[in-house]
Amino acid sequence: MVDALREVHRVLAPRGVLVDARPDSRVLAGAEHLTGRGHRRVGTINTARVERANDRISDRAIARVVREGLFERRRHGRFWHRVPFDDLSGLVQYLREHLRFAHRARWSVDAAMRRRIKNDRFAIRRAVRFELLDRR
Amino acid sequence: MNKVVGHVGRVGWQVPAVSSALRPSAAVELGHWGGPRLVRGKRVLDLGCGDGRLALGMAPYAKSVAGLDPDPPLIASARRRARASGARNVRFQVGAAQTLPYPSGAFDVVILSWTL
Repeated sequence: MVDALREVHRVLAPRGVLVDARPDSRVLAGAEHLTGRGHRRVGTINTARVERANDRISDRAIARVVREGLFERRRHGRFWHRVPFDDLSGLVQYLREHLRFAHRARWSVDAAMRRRIKNDRFAIRRAVRFELLDRR
Repeated sequence: MNKVVGHVGRVGWQVPAVSSALRPSAAVELGHWGGPRLVRGKRVLDLGCGDGRLALGMAPYAKSVAGLDPDPPLIASARRRARASGARNVRFQVGAAQTLPYPSGAFDVVILSWTL
């Protein structure tokens, strides 16, 4: 990964910009129930352990090339992104198959409530982080 | 961002988890990074471009966009999408990030979106 970042430094012109954007595993994703009036959180979703480890490796690679003086941190931020589903079963199935997330949500509403709203629309709301770095 | 971005139905289990359909649109991502001015008139490299979602979203603003990905089927898909969109300033290529097939100083902006 550090090798790739050194290559990025090579192909960037002086004062060029590197953008690093990826899901933010430091923040829990949310399972949301979407209604006509808006949305409410009905559960939280962890990032899979292996993906959290990968994210830490990426963070360390960026920190290393900054330490080496190849890049300088300019600006960073976070925004939220929703992946919508037609119903609860779609969301549950998605979690079972998706590699990045833990395979089950941690529900904050009971099973009876979930049964009542299971045919409504749902979404996974997750954080995306980004950082802009200047080539030095 | 408090609005659902594009309702895509049961996309979560109809397409692979790595699909760009599950990601924010290029316009949304670019908007958060600073807007079109970040790439306007610039030579842009989208590293790990996948099916070209982001590269094609940058094309209307950038001078040129290069997309690189190690997955040949995804690059084929990106090329098809580029042809369909009529973008003439985008080139896609199969390759690895560890040995970039470009000369030194070839780009003004390099994007690693959901890549690292």
